[in-house]
Amino acid sequence: MATIAPDLTPSTKTNGNNSSDVLKLGRPFRYIVLTLVGLFFIVPIVSSARFSFLGNHNSFTISAYTQLFGTAQFWSTLFLSVKVGVGTVFLTLALLIPTVVWVHVRLPKLRRVFEAISLLPLVVPSVVVTLGVITSFRGLPNIIYGTPVILSLEYVVLALPFSYRALDSSVQSIDLKTLVEAGQSLGAGWIKLLRFVLLPNIRGGIIGASILTFAFCLGEFAVASLLSFTTFPVFLVQVGQLAASQAVALSLIALLFTWIPLAVITLVFSQRRASRSTIVADE
Amino acid sequence: MISSETVANGGRYSRSGLPVRFENVARNFKDVAALKSFNLSADAGELIVLLGPSGCGKTTALRVLAGLEMPDSGRVIIGDHDVTSLPSAKRNIGMVFQSYSLFPNMTAKENVEFGLRVRGQSPKDRSSRSGELLELVGLKSQSDRYPHQLSGGQQQRVALARALAVQPEVLVLDEPLSALDAKVRSSLRDEIRRIQLELGITTFFVTHDQEEALAIADRIAVMHQGQLEQLDTPLAVYTNPATEFVAEFVGTVNRLPGRIVDASQVEVENVGLVEYKSDSTFTAGSEVEVLVRPESIGIRGANDEGCRVLAKSFLGSTIKITLLDRADRLISVAIPTSDAGLVEGVEAVSLYSRGQALLVKGR
Repeated sequence: MATIAPDLTPSTKTNGNNSSDVLKLGRPFRYIVLTLVGLFFIVPIVSSARFSFLGNHNSFTISAYTQLFGTAQFWSTLFLSVKVGVGTVFLTLALLIPTVVWVHVRLPKLRRVFEAISLLPLVVPSVVVTLGVITSFRGLPNIIYGTPVILSLEYVVLALPFSYRALDSSVQSIDLKTLVEAGQSLGAGWIKLLRFVLLPNIRGGIIGASILTFAFCLGEFAVASLLSFTTFPVFLVQVGQLAASQAVALSLIALLFTWIPLAVITLVFSQRRASRSTIVADE
Repeated sequence: MISSETVANGGRYSRSGLPVRFENVARNFKDVAALKSFNLSADAGELIVLLGPSGCGKTTALRVLAGLEMPDSGRVIIGDHDVTSLPSAKRNIGMVFQSYSLFPNMTAKENVEFGLRVRGQSPKDRSSRSGELLELVGLKSQSDRYPHQLSGGQQQRVALARALAVQPEVLVLDEPLSALDAKVRSSLRDEIRRIQLELGITTFFVTHDQEEALAIADRIAVMHQGQLEQLDTPLAVYTNPATEFVAEFVGTVNRLPGRIVDASQVEVENVGLVEYKSDSTFTAGSEVEVLVRPESIGIRGANDEGCRVLAKSFLGSTIKITLLDRADRLISVAIPTSDAGLVEGVEAVSLYSRGQALLVKGR
């Protein structure tokens, strides 16, 4: 959000009075917008937090949290969700990195087609996708069918719009074809190319795709419930029907769970980018 | 730019070049024939420039040589080896690309070392070799910079060092200078030539810039519609083009109407008698079109009945004059600056021939 501010400031120096008049008006205006947007996000969270710490007669209590942490199901469902999430991330990366790379290097004309396919889960209702996946994998052995592995397979498909896009845009930001050809002419095979050249240069996309996929897995309710798996979100809904303050506490925990890694990674990446672009080239 | 020590050590990383041969190479992209039975033979240690307009197949020829494109038919031979079916990674060809191709995640030094790392050389050997090569291209002090911290010219120097690090048998450069500004372009061009001569490596250089080709090549291969039009020294290509296309593409040329006088002379309108090569089969009196370079036409002096002076542009050592004859045909003439007085304050001039016609063709 803070990046909006520096974009506007340079024009004050170059342009005439007109634009600085606009800016004089604009400066408070953008703080108003930022505040409103901020409130929109923060108020529900703060109220939820307040509610979750509310005991009898408006007293402060952390009992909602202690009770939750004391529940065996809290840990088991959280563990299940994390397990499914990690599995989904690995499956997604193993499937998509070679696909995206291959499409860019060998089949550039099919890029649009693949992009369209990746967006299908947004268009097709998730119930339909779920049934489709179940039907497709019906013949598979029981290790997959009827275990959380099937959930990972579902999520790979459902998270495709996010994961594919993240990877595709990071691959597009580098001249992949030339880099591959340069590597090949220097004697590198595909494995070495992938290890030394491709993966390091699309790291941002890989991390982005991983976070988005993981966050999706940790928050998905419908499919998990449909397939009778008690994942973390399913547990959240069950708790919500019995104890309201625990449900709110639970959703706050879930929020922190996805938000903290996102914030850390965003910070680490923006710092690296800033330090990399400090030296100016000279001939 | 380069220390004498490096020059003395030149032999350490040079290897004598190998001859390269294209034999009837063809390559089609869908319905378009990028290469049609393309034949070319380069001697060991030679710098061949592939020159031609875009779409003439020059880059395809280069990519076929580098193994980045497989030919539909024909053979590519390096030294005594038929490399046609070898993948790029096994060919040992150093390549410099048109676009900046350095690995963005590696420093200049790491980029140069990449080919050696892939080959499993020890860090110590890699380091000393990348040091030598970065010194060769004058960038020793920039070893630890990342590509985005280097200018375009510096990036292409690193790319050259990277291509040379693996001791390639052949060096191929695909329009390596086209993304650079004019000044850097000409200095880097000279530097590429110096390094190439020093290492004695057989080199293919693709460009669409005729000036670049004339300046750098041992021999120029002029390409047109997927085929080789002419392979000859820059001087021969310029003064003795094999085809009309070569005459038009390399340098400027006038097309003037004329009439054959005998086996060595043709009477050209406005210019007078012009000599031509006698291997053509025209009979005296045939109407022909004569291709003449601007510098092969001289200005005799003012003549109100002659060609009108339309424009003059001063190019330093020469002056380019655009004339209009009485039939409204444009004629381009280049005269030495020392003759500037001939056209000073003059409205129309008469011309004479100062050199051979490039080509004579029937009308």
